[in-house]
Amino acid sequence: MQDALAEFYTAYASGSAVAVAHFLNPISPPQNPGRLYDFWRTTNEVRVGGDVQYALESRLRRHMSPNEINAWVDVISAYWRGVDKIVKAEQAENQGKLAERQAIDVYDAWKDLTSTFIKYISNGALPHWAVFTLYFTANHLRKFALKADEQMAKAKPVTFSSGFQDDIVSTTPRNEKLEEAARVFNRIFALCLGDRNPELMSSRKWGVYCIANLQFKTYFKLKTISLSKNVVKSIAAQSDLPQFHLYPASHRVTYMYYVGVISFLQEDYTMAEASLTEAWNSCYAYSSKNQELIMSYLIPCRLITEHKIPSAQLLNQFPHLRSLFGDLMDSIKKGDLSGFDKALTEGEPEFVKRRIFLTLERSRDIALRNLFRKVFLSAGYEDLKEGQTENDRIRKSRIPISHFAAALRMSTAGTGSSQVVDDDEVECLLANMIYKGHMKGYISRDHGMVVLNKKGAFPKTGV
Amino acid sequence: MPQPRNARVQVSCFTAHKQTDFFRTTHHHHPFSLLLLLLSNPLPFTCRNSPAAACSVYFDRASRRWVPRHVLPCFRSHRGVDTELQRSTCPHKPHQAVTSACSQSTSPVKPAKVDWPPAVREYVGRAFEGQNTIKGISREDVTKKLKEVIGFFAERSQLDSVTWSTYPLPQELLRDERLSKMDAAGVKPTLSGTTNTTHDNTPSKKRKSQDRDELQPQPTPGRKTNNLEDRITFAGGNEKRHKKNGLPRDTQSKFDQNDLEKRKQRFNLGTATANRPMPPWVATRNDSDSDMNTAPVVGTNQRLEKQYLRLTAPPKAETVRPQHVLEKTLQMLTRKWKEEKNYGYICNQFKSLRQDLTVQHIKNAFTVKVYELHARIALEKGDLGEYNQCQTQLKALYSQRLGGNPAEFTAYRILYFVYTCNKTDMNDLLAELTPADKTHPWIKHALDVRSSLALGNYHKFFQLYLDAPNMGSYLMDMFIERERLHALANISKAYVPTLEHVR
Amino acid sequence: MSGATQAPTKSTDDKSKTVDAENSENKKAAVAPLEEDDEFEDFPVEDWTEEESQIPGGTTHLWEESWDDDDTSEDFAVQLREELKKLGNSK
Repeated sequence: MQDALAEFYTAYASGSAVAVAHFLNPISPPQNPGRLYDFWRTTNEVRVGGDVQYALESRLRRHMSPNEINAWVDVISAYWRGVDKIVKAEQAENQGKLAERQAIDVYDAWKDLTSTFIKYISNGALPHWAVFTLYFTANHLRKFALKADEQMAKAKPVTFSSGFQDDIVSTTPRNEKLEEAARVFNRIFALCLGDRNPELMSSRKWGVYCIANLQFKTYFKLKTISLSKNVVKSIAAQSDLPQFHLYPASHRVTYMYYVGVISFLQEDYTMAEASLTEAWNSCYAYSSKNQELIMSYLIPCRLITEHKIPSAQLLNQFPHLRSLFGDLMDSIKKGDLSGFDKALTEGEPEFVKRRIFLTLERSRDIALRNLFRKVFLSAGYEDLKEGQTENDRIRKSRIPISHFAAALRMSTAGTGSSQVVDDDEVECLLANMIYKGHMKGYISRDHGMVVLNKKGAFPKTGV
Repeated sequence: MPQPRNARVQVSCFTAHKQTDFFRTTHHHHPFSLLLLLLSNPLPFTCRNSPAAACSVYFDRASRRWVPRHVLPCFRSHRGVDTELQRSTCPHKPHQAVTSACSQSTSPVKPAKVDWPPAVREYVGRAFEGQNTIKGISREDVTKKLKEVIGFFAERSQLDSVTWSTYPLPQELLRDERLSKMDAAGVKPTLSGTTNTTHDNTPSKKRKSQDRDELQPQPTPGRKTNNLEDRITFAGGNEKRHKKNGLPRDTQSKFDQNDLEKRKQRFNLGTATANRPMPPWVATRNDSDSDMNTAPVVGTNQRLEKQYLRLTAPPKAETVRPQHVLEKTLQMLTRKWKEEKNYGYICNQFKSLRQDLTVQHIKNAFTVKVYELHARIALEKGDLGEYNQCQTQLKALYSQRLGGNPAEFTAYRILYFVYTCNKTDMNDLLAELTPADKTHPWIKHALDVRSSLALGNYHKFFQLYLDAPNMGSYLMDMFIERERLHALANISKAYVPTLEHVR
Repeated sequence: MSGATQAPTKSTDDKSKTVDAENSENKKAAVAPLEEDDEFEDFPVEDWTEEESQIPGGTTHLWEESWDDDDTSEDFAVQLREELKKLGNSK
């Protein structure tokens, strides 16, 4: 047992929450694939408590208070019980007998470990940094909950209600364990946020953002994203948190990403842009998936706020972004409605999955603006009057509606577009452009003309 | 001057999927031009009066009739009691009939007015004989139980039909109950009917909780009952409900054979007793909790109508109608709806119909039909609460491929999210659609409505409004005015210099 | 506040030195980025410096204008001009 705990002693002595979390890892490291099994074999269900207690007491009595020893004994014993279930689940899996039960057992045992941790952190038996170790434990709990729910869903595809409900189909959650885990995370969050320790250095408030991130991930999975807003709100309402920039970058970037996505989904694109940009700027250079994720929201966002598209350079750097957005951006730039509609339809499943479809759809306006802008440019210039020079040339600003109609029909003639155009519709779309400020001018219905402003007919596009 | 469609042929929801002749303008204007005309000629475009949420009614016990909810200012006050009931081990209401039958007389051992049969007297005597005392069961408890046992049969004038010489003594009944209670302990039954873990706050959920407030049977004020009494009299709650429903109290129940065997074993009852109504305490706790939640009831009630009441206990077979009766009920309701259009009544009947289906675990094409019909009626009357409840159920039923019209209701869901402008829900719904779904004409119509608004193509939107299949226009009515205003704002800005009088 | 700065670092500064608990697990997933869902990955390290953050200098060259004036000779523009010429200035 002492040998098995050697790693714990080293980790503890280093005062590193991550190192201790590493000791409590439910997965064997690649360089030592037998680690969990070896640890498991050092004791058994009956002896584990006594064994760990004896080992810790004989080793740490002079370095640790009895309270703390007691706390670690419980934590490590609970960890062993978790490992016990994991090893058994692995054995079942190897025999092809992995079932619902095992996944739930692992989850339950890991939940016990998490609860034990919470108990000793809240009563002060464990050092303040243990809250970070708890974060890692809780993150594993989240993953075990996902697995357990997955197994349960396989076992029972649909629950029909029984008992006293009025309606036939039960509202029993499909994500029972993850919902339960969410409540555990809530407790941890409250534990961190509400820490009254005036000494900031040893405050649990340092755990606020990483636990919030855990909650975000959980709520997104549960499709109860609105609950994330409560987390953001309660953090905003807490005035005595350490300054944001002092938190570890991983906490900050993840937090800003989720705040950005939440704002994005609420259609607060200004806020979304600010948060996502901040996340982008601080993102770890070697985490390209996370960079792509940030961009997958930031790109649609910028289209709405600034009408800007990602540079070729950016798309080339991230091939996944290129395949996701490339065609759509090209079509927008060219004012090619057919191409746009085709790209949007083809990408729809992927866009919908990423919750960006409805936002991207709105950028058809930009494609349309670019198309109408071309009509405007093709109209050329008014003839020079006497005494005027080339510099005084002004563009023709009265353009027949029929010209816009012709352009629309040409642009939507391709196979990809499902939009057919009739004359009223052209007027409607023109009206829309003016209403939304993409074009400056008015429609003269009597004359069948669009009368555009002499200056800035298409704002912010140089004409 | 063609009016925007403010007069509509009321489409019966029973014929909804056969496209009936919707309102159509005879001389067909393009809708966008129509708006333009409206704008230049400031004719007030009338809003079709949307039907108010009509079914917010409450059954007033005092006056024994349905009253609109706003008439009853204190309908929320039951909440506290409700919660308390849910928390206690047994949520069931004391049975007034039983308790009042004997609780007034101080002791049944000395009957003052009633002439008890000798067998009963003997039974009472045996109950208090020292040799029959069971450790841990007090004399008081025995007395109380005795009152209830005798009261139960006395009330039914069945004192003579019981073989008192073999009937279990009160203390034996109590022991049995306690033992089975211990068995069941640890499994806390979820009696609330709904889990409180869902974070959902859709209108349907809210609606549901309102219903609970409104329709929860009220405990008699000022009457405090202990747990034991609750436990033994819980089925009496049903009995009372039963009476309220106007059903014969002693409807014979055909017990499940298994159930019967269990009971026989437990009480050493002879077969002769099988056809007698079972006293409430016979439905012991240990085949409740776990079993109660899974075993379907097999209904025996033959009445077509039944007033809806929220269940707080497992229903008795004699209060539940089997499917073949429910099918007739549905026919009757269909006819009544067409003839009378009394939504309050229809909604209540549909709810009890749904409840009977649920407790019997009937989930088949008929179930789908019931929910579809209720959803259509609710939609026609603008009762979004019920409509959404039905939609939720239908969604799950369709996933079981039980038939019905999934395309029709998918289209409604899309239109509903257009109405609520809920982008997240809309996105989730889009994520569920298969390519085949998207090409279905009804669903495609709804999707086109969505995209036309997203792209500001009001011209197309108003055309789609005129062409809405099934009951789509009832849903579109909910946002047509909003979008018409958007379109007008849009037009006013774009045409402003040519439309002087608008300024 | 200088004291506070140490609090998170104390527990987290051992980043690149040890293979972090999460890392081993994420190696599998890292093969196919941007495929699964939009769940943000756990970073392999807890904290990093600005130099280790990507693309210094902000967002300036990440974006460009969404219209394109360099393609007047492009097929569509030519076609459009032809089409509009046919229509003339009439309605």
